[in-house]
Amino acid sequence: MPTIVPPYLLDRIAETAGTRYPLAAEAARRALLREPPARLGPSSPGLPLTDAYGLPSALPDAPSTPDRRISDAQGTERLPGRLVRREGERATGDEAVDDAYDGLGDTHRMFDRVFGRDSIDGLGMPLEATVHFGDNYDNAFWDGERMVFGDGDGEIFRGFTDSLSVIGHELSHGITEHTAKLRYQGQSGALNEHVSDAFGALVEQYALGQDAEAATWLIGEGIFTAEVQGRALRSMLEPGTAYDDDVLGRDPQPGHMRDYIETVEDNGGVHLNSGIPNRAFALAARRLGGFAWEHVGRIWFDTLTSGELGEDATFAQFADETVRQAERRFGAQSREAEAVRDGWQQVGVLAEAGQG
Amino acid sequence: MDVFVARSGGLAGIRLTWHVKVDDQPDADDWFVLIEEIPWDDVPAAPAEPDRFTWDIRCEPAEARHPAAGTTDPTAAEPNPAGPKGAEPKATEATLAERQLTGPWRQLVDRVRETTEPQREAPRAPRSR
Repeated sequence: MPTIVPPYLLDRIAETAGTRYPLAAEAARRALLREPPARLGPSSPGLPLTDAYGLPSALPDAPSTPDRRISDAQGTERLPGRLVRREGERATGDEAVDDAYDGLGDTHRMFDRVFGRDSIDGLGMPLEATVHFGDNYDNAFWDGERMVFGDGDGEIFRGFTDSLSVIGHELSHGITEHTAKLRYQGQSGALNEHVSDAFGALVEQYALGQDAEAATWLIGEGIFTAEVQGRALRSMLEPGTAYDDDVLGRDPQPGHMRDYIETVEDNGGVHLNSGIPNRAFALAARRLGGFAWEHVGRIWFDTLTSGELGEDATFAQFADETVRQAERRFGAQSREAEAVRDGWQQVGVLAEAGQG
Repeated sequence: MDVFVARSGGLAGIRLTWHVKVDDQPDADDWFVLIEEIPWDDVPAAPAEPDRFTWDIRCEPAEARHPAAGTTDPTAAEPNPAGPKGAEPKATEATLAERQLTGPWRQLVDRVRETTEPQREAPRAPRSR
């Protein structure tokens, strides 16, 4: 289908207009995805209408049906706060409210359209979020029932709803809680964090129509103020390189098992050691090329929902399960299984048995 | 008496620490009363809340009693029962999920944050190579 707007401009709108002009960005993304797959770059393997297993195509051109509820804590730490926007209601003009609403919609759409999971519980449960939590509150979290977003201090952190990968990250904590239930401590806790980063990144890539090569693999791009020397909170591809700032210091994430950090704080370093599985995931995705949600995304989702993973899973147990799931879905000798195995070997989680 | 507060975890995984020398505060007596109210051994269980902050709170007898130390090394602040002020409380520490940070815990942390600026530090344990 021919488009009037030239593809390069659609590309730019789709990639840069996201938070400020969500409708324009969405329209551009849909237009782009109607174009022949060759337009999305030489590494794209093409866009099958259904995959080998008859699952629906991953094209995000039909809306899903989330049930969103955004509340406003009005600068207090009381939850849930005042309900300010329900599903189908028009934009409020409050940027945090509307960004959260749009981000939850993008997140719901990827899980529904790509993985066939309707909301956090798979049964369409409401997606609840609270914004404007606390006073200069420098964080976003999942409290077991809802996503909670602070406004940041304005000096280091801007608001936490500015990044789609952060919104996807928080909602993915809910999905983990309803599936693999990875215990939030030590290695299983770092895997819980990793799963949220992985799906947070995929939500952003899916919304932007980005393949693994084009993707930034950054988590929380755009939540630092311009004062901070840094691109994002974390880099999945190159852990330890997301920021290096006079005040914040250097991104402390390791990207290999030899640098695993033992600490009692942060639930045993769950936000630090997640760099190791993050890198394995990004390396596998980049090796395969094309849209990451179609291969590594499916493998990781299968792993989460297989029922085979213990709540106290170690990195090695999780890695073994992803390899098993890759072999089940794509075949024992498949390039998908090979790429996943290779990713884990490169970060020192799986031994390089025989030949990698 | 010295109060140390560390905030770890959070989505960003960035650690902040605060340190207040209570003896140097003009309202030191108020601090002592507040610290006395802290139920150190009674931290209720809390559900895990991914990405929420974890708070580590530690009170120690003042460093001034060990003038040679001059550091915040906790081993330098062992209680000294033989000292002239043997009744001074010994070092106490608790780790709380942010949800548990209520009552006197919250009052103490708020007071610490109002009194001093945070330091940003690397995670406590060094990387193993």
